[in-house]
Order: sequence, then structure tokens, then C-alpha cells
Amino acid sequence: MTELCDLSAAELAARIRNGEARAVDALDSALARVAAVDGRPGTLDPGDLTADDQAKVHAFITLTVERARAQAEAVDKKLAQGEIPGPLAGVPFTVKDIFVVEGTPSTASSRMLANFVAPYTATPVARMEAAGAVMLGKVNLDEFTYGSSNESSAFQPHPRNPWDTSRVVGGSSGGSAAAVAAGEGALSLGTDTAGSIRQPAAFCGVVGVKPTYGRVSRYGLIAFGSSLDCPGPLARDVTDAALMLNAIAGPDARDATAVTVPVPDYTAGIEDGVKGLRIGLSPDFFKLTYYNHESSEMEERPLPDDILAAVMQAADKLSDAGARIVENVPMPHTRYGIPAYFVISRVEAASNLHRFDGVKYGYRTADKVDDLRAMYRKTRGEAFGPQPKLRILMGMYVSAAQYSEQYYQQALKVRSLIRGDFDSVFDASGEHKLDALLTPTTPTTAFPIGDVYGDSVLMQYADQLTVTADHAGIPGLSLPGGLDAGGLPIGIQLLGPDFSEASLFRIARTYERETETAAWRSARPKVLG
Amino acid sequence: MTEYEAIIGLETHIQLNTETKIFCGCKADSWDDAPNTNICPVCSGLPGSLPAPNRAVVEKAVRLAHAMNADIQTESYFDRKNYFYPDLPKGYQITQYDKSIARGGHMDVPMPDGSTRRVGIHKLHMEEDAGKTRNEKGRRLIDFNRCGVPLIEMVTGPDIRSADEAAEYLIRLRQLLRWLDISEADMEKAHLRADANVSIRVKGETVFNTKTEIKNVNSIEGVRAAVEKEIARQIQAYESGEKIEAWTLDWDENTQTLRKMRSKETEADYRYFKEPDLLAVHLDEEWLSGLLADFPELPLARRLRFIEQYGLPEYDANILTSERSLSDYFEAAVAAYGGDAKRVSNWMMNDVLKLLNERGLEAGALKLTAEGLADIIKLVDANTVNTPTGKSLIEKAHDSGKTPQEIVESEGLAQVSDDSAIRDIARQVIAANPDNVEKYRGGKDSLIGWFVGQVMRESGGKADPNMTRAVLEELLKG
Repeated sequence: MTELCDLSAAELAARIRNGEARAVDALDSALARVAAVDGRPGTLDPGDLTADDQAKVHAFITLTVERARAQAEAVDKKLAQGEIPGPLAGVPFTVKDIFVVEGTPSTASSRMLANFVAPYTATPVARMEAAGAVMLGKVNLDEFTYGSSNESSAFQPHPRNPWDTSRVVGGSSGGSAAAVAAGEGALSLGTDTAGSIRQPAAFCGVVGVKPTYGRVSRYGLIAFGSSLDCPGPLARDVTDAALMLNAIAGPDARDATAVTVPVPDYTAGIEDGVKGLRIGLSPDFFKLTYYNHESSEMEERPLPDDILAAVMQAADKLSDAGARIVENVPMPHTRYGIPAYFVISRVEAASNLHRFDGVKYGYRTADKVDDLRAMYRKTRGEAFGPQPKLRILMGMYVSAAQYSEQYYQQALKVRSLIRGDFDSVFDASGEHKLDALLTPTTPTTAFPIGDVYGDSVLMQYADQLTVTADHAGIPGLSLPGGLDAGGLPIGIQLLGPDFSEASLFRIARTYERETETAAWRSARPKVLG
Repeated sequence: MTEYEAIIGLETHIQLNTETKIFCGCKADSWDDAPNTNICPVCSGLPGSLPAPNRAVVEKAVRLAHAMNADIQTESYFDRKNYFYPDLPKGYQITQYDKSIARGGHMDVPMPDGSTRRVGIHKLHMEEDAGKTRNEKGRRLIDFNRCGVPLIEMVTGPDIRSADEAAEYLIRLRQLLRWLDISEADMEKAHLRADANVSIRVKGETVFNTKTEIKNVNSIEGVRAAVEKEIARQIQAYESGEKIEAWTLDWDENTQTLRKMRSKETEADYRYFKEPDLLAVHLDEEWLSGLLADFPELPLARRLRFIEQYGLPEYDANILTSERSLSDYFEAAVAAYGGDAKRVSNWMMNDVLKLLNERGLEAGALKLTAEGLADIIKLVDANTVNTPTGKSLIEKAHDSGKTPQEIVESEGLAQVSDDSAIRDIARQVIAANPDNVEKYRGGKDSLIGWFVGQVMRESGGKADPNMTRAVLEELLKG
């Protein structure tokens, strides 16, 4: 019998609504799964990694069992009293620990905030709870979201891929993707700044959605790159992701950049198919670009065959379902996405990290210091890990008065050009008139733990196929598109114009339906046995 | 002897009198509140919090920019100014840098000698205030109440030429800020803060020499005194061949002295960049025209008009336009009175202002209406009441809320101008004071005033003083 924690959020919510299951049963099922697969939560002082640790997922930093139980009981009580619960009533979800939640530790996976208990709750979390969802706890991420593997978390053991625990989960929403993949919570709230929802979703074989910038409020999201950060859903299937976006999207008086564009019901029309939609394939997404340290040049490498094949197979399925596939769509500035991102995100990150000074909250050096500057230096020196330090150094450098024109202003121009690429192919009166682009999500499938970590530049290039959507502010969705030769999930990505989430869901759902009977669909993450 | 001139620029920070702070719903004014009681996640810079702009701040900035003859920018941006300080909780200040809400501008400041100084405006932008740091017993205490209080920073060009001109500019700015309800503009409460950049040069030269910056002055008189001192110091230094260095000077109000705070280091790099948490401030046509519709006549223009239209002396016009409701009151009273505006001005300057000052009120709070004041003057003109009674009616009308006519009737204050009634009282007074009658008749004419006073007293103040005098003179002749 399928356990409750393996059901989709839609199915689970329906069963709870019609009395087949109680919210507390769903909670107990999720907690049992956590107990079975998660192992010990991340801590600042983990000691040695045991063999058992290496076989576990370690998605969580903080389990909020009491809060969850109170919420689940409240849902059951409402149901018993005949009240109409929210659309996600009783569905357990997890929250990337970059969102603040009142009364819970909100750590950003950094020593800097290890002792920080937030006095308020982030808007998207509050909206999930208002929709009846039950927060299970806070899940791990790269420190301050700065990474693509979760290895940089100050809270160790870091998450491990449920499909193969010797592999990374991706990042930075790695705890989210792992928790969803392993059935530890049907949904998770993540954030995407260069690909931080879509890349781990691809690595862990789940659906991840980076909505249009401003579609979901950032209030309560501890900022990384404020002009890029997007909260969004991770879920096991497309419909669940749409349900979750329904709950969290919309304007927020507390976030001036949260747009007032009306939120449609993303599940309406999700089964309507793709007939007549124009879906583009771009050769600029079928090659990889890396920076060569020795030659200081960008060099091209081919996309791995398995990944290319998965995208082509998806194009065929969508074509079979009635979509018009448009080939050879030029996206010439894709290759500059990472270099421009390196500059813009670091400038914003360095500024956003200014507030962590040991004065008001969070870590403060235990050493005796004789002046304020020494307190700042020691506090920040001791509490920030290598990634925040690198990003501060680079951000301060490229925004300095004498370099800003050369780097920061230049990067902003590149960002406009990237936006221009998308504008022109989505232009309804342009040459391509695309409804969406179909691309691979990642350059590789989940890589082995330790393989890339330490090379910050190479790690950053893991986001090269996702980052352009963040630059442009457009929505992107990653969904499972098969398994590679080693049995690891492959992610395929859909990118669309501003506020086209509904049509991305429709296309993704069509692909999901077309591949329902594919053999790879029945594969399960190894940790589930 | 070499003549020098001073080159002065003023950097002002104006605290706006909005209800709430610039980016959150906390109360903006914390003057009477305990430290750290008007704070929230936004203004205290908690992780994850975001600024939500207050429209009222933009509106006040637009009105000030318009009054300063600046070019209002329909699209402006906020920027981050990054630096570390314990009372700056985000580690950056949200301000406007290269695309601020207004460009250019000037104010023509009338000087006491009748000349006018045009003071150019170099910068006018919105920003948030930081908190306050206090050192106490070796501890550094921080009050975040002031974080996020809305400010307009306004910087003049190097156009001011003396300490008195600097003070006049600030007096006119304060008047304007209150006139437009932008700020309480009280320097003692730091609603209006002014730092002065001062340099000197030999008169006739066009170079700009090294300047010093005077900080922490909290009154207009303080600015005048501090700038005067600094000009004198620089002249003396220059004449004795010392180099003038770019110091920052701290004004000590108690000792009236300037103290060197620090030598100005090389300009800090604040790494300005556009605030990604806020959208551009876009002033659409409707919003802008709504803000500038019915823009009030400004104090300096009204002052000139009072001189021209009503023939008022400059002195009267200055005082009557010192505050907006006072000038409105004056004009309404003149209109209701219909006669000589100078006569209304005299009543305002002598009697109405006396009451306002005693009670600490503005004219807008008077219960005696401008029409009521006009009625009082008319009652006096018509000899219905005498002048002292008329003056007493101002306070009585304000305290009771009744009209002057009602008070005159209910208290029987109408002047006695009945010849026979006055004659009766005068006879009694003469009969009761034979000594003084004799002295008067012996040539001590000045005693007439004493006799008038006696009759006035006996009549309960109601006797017409002119008629009383005439009757007494007649009777005393014998």
C-alpha cells in the first residue's frame, strides 16, 4: 500500500478533505519517512561522517514537530467542524532555511545566523500555512544560498542525493529537492537566484518552478541577489507545483517588487494539452561554455548525450501531442549569463551581507575586542564560511568606484542583452513567436560529492542553462525527463515569457502525461529501497 | 587692508513630518518615546525584511522641489549607500544618488539690508535616517527609533557669502517647510539639521579654496555664530601664512567654540548601486498635477504682495507672512474690514500676536475669527467701544468663542457717549477732589489725565475718553 507521504499533494489534500485520512496521519507518515531516511540533521559541530551518515539524506536542519502537530490538529479540527479547509489542508511541506519563520531558528545554513530565531514569518510561508499546509521544518541549503551542491552549508552533514547518496543534491535548494524526492514532505518552498530551484530539482528528479520575478513575495527571504531572487515551489509532479504556486503567488504590500498582475488558477487548463503552442529549441542551450583558467578564454564543450537525448525525446513527445517545434532559435547571449551573474549577484550579495555585523542579532565573536572595527572583523571572519567571504570580496571589488563601470555597469548591459534574446523569440509579431523554449536544465546529472566543491568557478557554471531566466526575470520550470545511463535523474527545462507560468504548467503536464507509462517513471530513489 | 569674502554652502537634512516612516508603518516621530519602541523588522534591518515606500514622503519631496524651483524628475530611483556603522542596521542607507527626485533649483533670499541673494540648490533627494548612538560609561547604546525616519537632503551651491546670509537662508527655509507642512523644521529637535561648508578668498578672486565643514549645530543662531567664528579663524590663519586644511569641525553650543573632529580623509567609497528592493519612483501625470494643483502662494511672494497690494511696511509684511495661517488670517481680516489694511496690521501685530505668543498658538487655532477681529476694529472705529475695551474683546472672544458683538451686549460694554451721563460722573469726581481741582486751576494741566482716569473708572471703563476729556476741561474751567 502506498504510504500517505508518497501521495501527491493534490491526492493527499483530497483524501484529507473527504475524510479518508487525517492531517495528523499525513504528518505521522511524513515524520516516519524522515526517521527512516533522513539521518541526523545538520549541525555546526557534526564530528566525523559515519557510514550510516553516508547512506542518509540529511535534508533537515530543524524539524518543527510541535508546530506541525498543532497545525495538523487545527486542520483536523476545522474539518470536523465542517469548515472548508484551504486547498493544501494537511499537506506537509518543508521550507528552505533561507526563509524566516516566527519562533523558529532561521539560519541561512550559516554560523552567522545559527542562533537567530526570527520574530516574524515570511510571506510565502504564511501563505502556505493559510492554505492549510503543515510546515514540517527547515531544510538545508548552501550557506546563504551560495552554491550548487549544498556542500557549503555550515550545517553538516549536508544533504545527499536520495537517488545515490554519494552524489550531491544540487543547490542551493538542495534540502528542498531531496526532501520532496524522498517523500519527506510533498512540497517544499525554495528560492532560485541562478537556478537554485531548478538545478536541484533536476538532480533529484522532481519538479521545480522559478516563477516570474515578482510573482511571489520575497518578504522574509534572507536576500542573496535581490534583483534575481525568486521564491518558488518544488514538488513531485507538475500539478502539485501548480497548486503550490496558487497558494504563494500574488502581490504583497510588504514587497514593493511583488507585482499586482492577477494570479490565475494554475491548475485550470493544466490538462488542456499543447495543440497549437510553439515550442522552441535553441542550439545555444545544447552546448556548454566554461571558463578556461589557463587561456582566460571561454571554451565550448558538448552537452552530455543522455541529456541532449532527453530533451529531443521530450520535443518529440510534445510534437506528437500537437505542439509546433521550432528549431534553431538563436539565443546568442546565453553564454554570457554566468560571467554577468558573477558580477551582479556578488555586488548585491556583498551589500546584503552588510547587516550581519554582530551588533543586533546572530553571531558575535566571543573574543575580547577593543574597538568596533575589530569586533566587525572578528565576527564576520569567524562566522562567514568561504562562500560568503569570496562573494563579499568579489562584490566589493567589482562595485568599487574605479571598477564599477568596467564590471558592474557592463554586466547590467549584458543582462539587458539576455533579456533582449528572450523578448525577441517570445515576441508575438517576431520571427519565432514562441510560447516556450525547451532546454536541458543542467550541464550534467548529479555529480559525485567532492568532485566540484572547492572550485567556485566551475561550481557556478552548473547554473549556466538556468541563470539566463533569472537575469531576464522570466519563469522557468524544470521537470524530470528521464534517467541517465547511471540511473540518475535528468531535468528538462521550459522557459516562457513573463507571467506564462500557466502555459509552462500545461506543457509540462502534457509531457508528464505522454510519458506516464515510460519505464523510467517507475524508478524510485534508492534510499526508498 | 585685504578684503575677504566667505564662500559658504549649506547641507541640510530635513526630517519630514509624515505619520509613518519612509519604508515601514512605524511611527515616524519618536521625540517623546523610549529608545527602541518604534521599530519593526523593516526599520531595524532584520534578515529577510524589505522596504515598502511611503507615498507621503514622495509627495512632500515633490512639493519642496516645486517650491525650490527645481526640475521635478518624473522617474527617479533609490540607491544603496553602503557603509558599516552600528546604528545603520542594514549596513547600507537607502538614499537617492544619481537619479534623484529633483534637479537644480534655487531660492531668492531677501536680506535685511534689502538685497536679495539667490542660493542655488545642488542636490535634493529623499533618504532614510539612521539610528542614534550614545556612549555611556564605556558602553555604546543604540536607539533604532530614528532608523527609517524620512529625510530630504538638500544641498546648496557655494552661493552664500556671510554668516548672516547663512542664517537668513535657514530662516526662510524653515518658514517654507512649515508653510508647506513638510517638516516641523525645529532645529532644536533636529527636524532641520544644517552642516556648513566654509572657505574664504580674497575679494575679487574666483578660486575656491580649501573648505572646512561645521557639524552638530542645532540652532540658526548657532549656525550664524559658528560660521562667523570660522570665517574669522580662516582669515587669521591665512594672514599668518598657515595652510587651511579640510577639517571637520564640531560646534559646541555651550562654549560657543569650534573643535576639530577629524581631518577629512579621502572620500569613502560607498559603492552606490540601484536599490533592487524598490521600483523606480514614477510620478505619473495625474499624481504630479494633483500634487501641484492649488499650490499655495509661498511666503516670500506673499510678503512682496503684502507690501505692494496693502502698502504695508516691510517690517509688517515680514511678520505677517512669518507663518501661513497668520497671513491667511490677516488677509481675511482685511477683506472683512474693508478699510485701511495698515490699521488691521497694527491690531494684528500689537494685540493678536500678543495673545498668540502668550498662549503659544498659531493663528489657525484662534477662536476669534478674522471677521470677528474686523468687527472689533469697526466697533472701535464707530466709538461703540473704546480702544482698551476693543483690545480686551480679542481675548474674551477667543476664550468664550462668542462673537465680539455678543460679548459687548452681554457684558454691557458699549461705550457711554451720552453727554449728560458723563457730565454727572464728572461733577461727582470734581466735587470729591477739591485739592486736585485747585492744583489744576493753579496751572497743573497734566492733572487732566488723572481726572479722565477717575471718570473712566467710575463709568466701568465705558465712558468715551474723548468726550470725557472735553466735558472735564469745560467743567474744570469753572
